[in-house]
Amino acid sequence: MEQQLVVKTTDLTKRFHGVHAVDNVNLQIPKGAIYGFLGPNGAGKTTAIKLILGLIYESSGSVTIFGKDLKREKLSILRKVGSLVESPSYYGHLSAKENLEITRRILDVPKSRIDEVLSIVRLEKEASRPVKGFSLGMKQRLGIASALIGNPDLLILDEPTNGLDPSGIIEIRELIKQLPEQYGMTVLVSSHLLAEIDQMATQVGIITKGKLIFQDSIDVLRKKAVSKILIKTNKAEKAWRFLLSAGWKGTLSDNNIVFPGMSDKKVADVVKSLIHQQFEIYRVEEEKMSLENIFLEMTKGEQTL
Amino acid sequence: MLPSLMYTEWLKLKKSNVFPLVWISPLLAAVTGYFTMFDSGANQWFDPYFQMLLIHAVLFLPMMAGIFSASVCRYEHQNGGWKQLLALPVKRSSVYLSKFFIVMLFIAITQLLFFIGLLCVGMLQGFTDPFPWGMMLTRVFMGWIACLPLVTLQLWASTAWASFAAPVALNVILTLPNILVSNSEKFGPWYPWSQPFLGMLLGEEGDFFYSTQTLVFVIIGGFIIFSIGGLLYFKQKAV
Repeated sequence: MEQQLVVKTTDLTKRFHGVHAVDNVNLQIPKGAIYGFLGPNGAGKTTAIKLILGLIYESSGSVTIFGKDLKREKLSILRKVGSLVESPSYYGHLSAKENLEITRRILDVPKSRIDEVLSIVRLEKEASRPVKGFSLGMKQRLGIASALIGNPDLLILDEPTNGLDPSGIIEIRELIKQLPEQYGMTVLVSSHLLAEIDQMATQVGIITKGKLIFQDSIDVLRKKAVSKILIKTNKAEKAWRFLLSAGWKGTLSDNNIVFPGMSDKKVADVVKSLIHQQFEIYRVEEEKMSLENIFLEMTKGEQTL
Repeated sequence: MLPSLMYTEWLKLKKSNVFPLVWISPLLAAVTGYFTMFDSGANQWFDPYFQMLLIHAVLFLPMMAGIFSASVCRYEHQNGGWKQLLALPVKRSSVYLSKFFIVMLFIAITQLLFFIGLLCVGMLQGFTDPFPWGMMLTRVFMGWIACLPLVTLQLWASTAWASFAAPVALNVILTLPNILVSNSEKFGPWYPWSQPFLGMLLGEEGDFFYSTQTLVFVIIGGFIIFSIGGLLYFKQKAV
């Protein structure tokens, strides 16, 4: 499967005073993907993104974007990359329009793009007011507008929904989801919230303590969500012993007989034989491990407050 | 790229509160120049000129060099401006140069206003001596050139320190002993904060002894060292 990779990092490493903030990371972001870059706070997401943008320099390894080496062709790469890194960047004493004009002038795109991106993030009405009076959500939207103004092929958004209210989060999420199909963009979006990534990403990379511990499509991650079958009968312990003797090895917990991930056929067989033995079956349930749990499991050991 | 960057730099600076500062020094200098108390007996125009230097070149010009340098970095430090700017397709050296040129432009405007201030003083006083164009223009120009090491040094400090106050305060502290250091034949030309004053005096025989040659040599040398240092620092700066 030779997919075209928009971003590819090779053993990317960044050390700060001996500490590995980013440790041998091999990101692979296919064209047209919404790549959810996931990890707890302080895991190295922002550092990795800054390395990709050339804002800081790697200790070792390399970054390739659009098939070009970042070191050698930085300017031509960055022309086609829009970014929002960490908290939104803005010039507080200037209006939204003037802020965008600065980016527009450097990227040398038509003036009409300013109004276009302002309407995409719905800031037209506030366009002439100094940005320092904006709410965090509005600043965030201005940052996204600024990232979009150059019609980038690759959009990098670092925690774009940070500080937004629920309706703002939904708005940004819907916006991000439509970018690949509408404009052919590839999107790298980071977050520490799995639920958020789950709702928009097609690819997922999970980073913790600087190391990339998972990278694949979101479906593969979902498959990791192992299910358990819970059976509730009138005589739990008796039924459990009977099943053990019949060769089905379950566990007993809370008056439930629990089996790890079973096929439909096996479930049917177990139920059938229980009924033959005159056990009354109250419930047969499937319990899925949530993505959230998988994520916590994977990033275990990372202390959070 | 450079013209676009300078244009955006201008946009950012225009709306900040820095621009009115270019008036302060020439205005105050002109007021003191108008009330010049001494008469050297030479060309009339030189008396208020030297009086004005004590305010402008000794005190305000080096301070302004520091304030302008810190100002073009201030709005980048404040709300992640560096991140946004340097993630755009721009060379870091061009960003640095655009800021340097803008600061030098502001100092040029200050010098021009100083020059106009001197003309106004003379006209109001009704001077009859011919205006020494060549000598005056050379001195005002030399004052501008003599700011090069100071500006590059201050720009270096201002890109490195996220604070606006720190480089400005340091600059003020180092400006204050100016008149003492300028008196020293040995150290005067080597002190970046004295150079604008000595540049505007330019070989004037009087209380200040120094060699113009040394001064020019030190200014060019300092400028080269500080600009290379500042550029190298800025190129590898982590933002």
